[in-house]
Amino acid sequence: MSVRLDSAVGGLALANPVMAASGTYGYGLDLLEFCPPERLGAMVSKGLSPRPRRGNRTPRIVETAAGMINAIGLQNIGVDAFCREALPELRARGAVVVVNVFGERMEEYLEVIARCEREEGVAAYELNVSCPNVTAGGMEFGHDPVQLERLTGMCRAATPRPLWVKLSPNAPDLVGTARAAVAGGADALTLINTLRAMAIDPVARRPAIANTFGGLSGPAIKPIALRMVYEVHRALPGVPLVGIGGIETGRDAVEFLLAGASAVQVGTAIFRDPGAPLRILAELEGFCEEHGVAAVRELVGGLTCR
Amino acid sequence: MAVCVASRTDLSPTCFHLTLATPEPVVAEPGQFGMVSCGEGLDPLLRRAFSLAGVVAKGSGSEVELLVKEVGKGTALLRRAVPGTELRLLAPLGRGFTLEGGAPAALVAGGIGLPPVLFAAEAMAALGVRFDLFLGATTAAELLEVERCARACEAAGGTLVVTTDDGTRGERGLVVAALERRLAAGHRYARVLACGPTPMLAALTLLARERGVPTEVSLEEPMACGVGVCLGCVVELGDGRFVSACREGPVFPVERLAARWWA
Repeated sequence: MSVRLDSAVGGLALANPVMAASGTYGYGLDLLEFCPPERLGAMVSKGLSPRPRRGNRTPRIVETAAGMINAIGLQNIGVDAFCREALPELRARGAVVVVNVFGERMEEYLEVIARCEREEGVAAYELNVSCPNVTAGGMEFGHDPVQLERLTGMCRAATPRPLWVKLSPNAPDLVGTARAAVAGGADALTLINTLRAMAIDPVARRPAIANTFGGLSGPAIKPIALRMVYEVHRALPGVPLVGIGGIETGRDAVEFLLAGASAVQVGTAIFRDPGAPLRILAELEGFCEEHGVAAVRELVGGLTCR
Repeated sequence: MAVCVASRTDLSPTCFHLTLATPEPVVAEPGQFGMVSCGEGLDPLLRRAFSLAGVVAKGSGSEVELLVKEVGKGTALLRRAVPGTELRLLAPLGRGFTLEGGAPAALVAGGIGLPPVLFAAEAMAALGVRFDLFLGATTAAELLEVERCARACEAAGGTLVVTTDDGTRGERGLVVAALERRLAAGHRYARVLACGPTPMLAALTLLARERGVPTEVSLEEPMACGVGVCLGCVVELGDGRFVSACREGPVFPVERLAARWWA
């Protein structure tokens, strides 16, 4: 039996439901020998700002039990360098490219989108709203439904392309922010971003990373991510979701699809194994074969609850 | 690739030698590194980065040598690995030392910084490049692979200088001080290649800059991926940019590094 792997996130058709997550796959051309972008359902770029950013001081990362904490500080080459240096080859390879967008002010999100609008070969935008809004006192855009709806609405007006919002699990009201993003015009929601966390070096009596706080990712957060995908799917059943959080195996991916995600992103697993997205895709296919699932789409939202 | 532990031998109270048999040939330069899985489960989650201590052809594949210090969960698991244990290895990665060039060179290794320096010493001896090797450790019991270092020096027509912080073997004191004494006594080196703890490399960089000796150092930074995508292992350069040690290093000419690094 051959399994139909195709899926779709809203209007965006995907050859398969496995993507590489933002911040774990560079600009799409860094892991060609392990995981070429054209074999993925889609790839999400490192978060891009209007201008290059240096990022935070080191240490930036620390491993924790079945996870890791990072505070990279959004180091990136800037949207213009991405469009000039990476996008032409990604286009030539036929990769489905999702541009992850962030800014410290709303105008910066619009600048990134405007630059990409001049280019062919951008399939969708994913807004990173876990960035502190410097013009609103440093609170993250994704924590305030009013700000989030406004930001999403402004970006919506700036592009006809699919617009995804990547939700922060640290928001006080997850479903409220999900509704706000949809009200602002988001076509789909990615969830979840990393969980705010810290680690301590007890000998040095110092935080383990220079930024003190960072984002927790990896298998440690998977149960939380699943719960959040399911919660948002239940509240907003018509809204396409992209599930992410600690996916290491094909079975993990199936769980996210059942909880309501139309596709999944693989992040930290790439650090452990740069070929992880393709391995996970193969395992997903194997799961479907083994359990008589003819098409991956059948799994989406297929959870039975008593 | 899946690799197999071929041997594991204790070298000191904290360090051990690990040989990994690879199914395919590995062609590596001294200073390059590998990412090694430490176990099957999800904890520890990430592979560990180790500078390669040597690579030899074996059958249709290679044997990759590592010198490992037990410092945490991952290295403790590796210390318990028995021959036949299957691990995953990503190697070779990064940029290594410049082996050919001015001679004589001074090779300087502190503690568990030895692996890339040992690999460089044996490769330079084979290439006929002259060098002296400065090998430092906290105490005699923590000196690693002294006999191999001595053989490489002999083959290269150079001298092995051993130091221990507590004076239990060789010259008493820090390894960089031993190099400084040689320089003060009139020894001249065309360049320095080094790896060791950050304070040692910072002291060495300061000395090399004062003396105008070109120096390459192998830096250790926490790494998640080893292949340039996590941006965890960045090093600050003189022009203010952060670059990934896994891609642009781990070996850097000290002229490229930000002053903050040694000052």
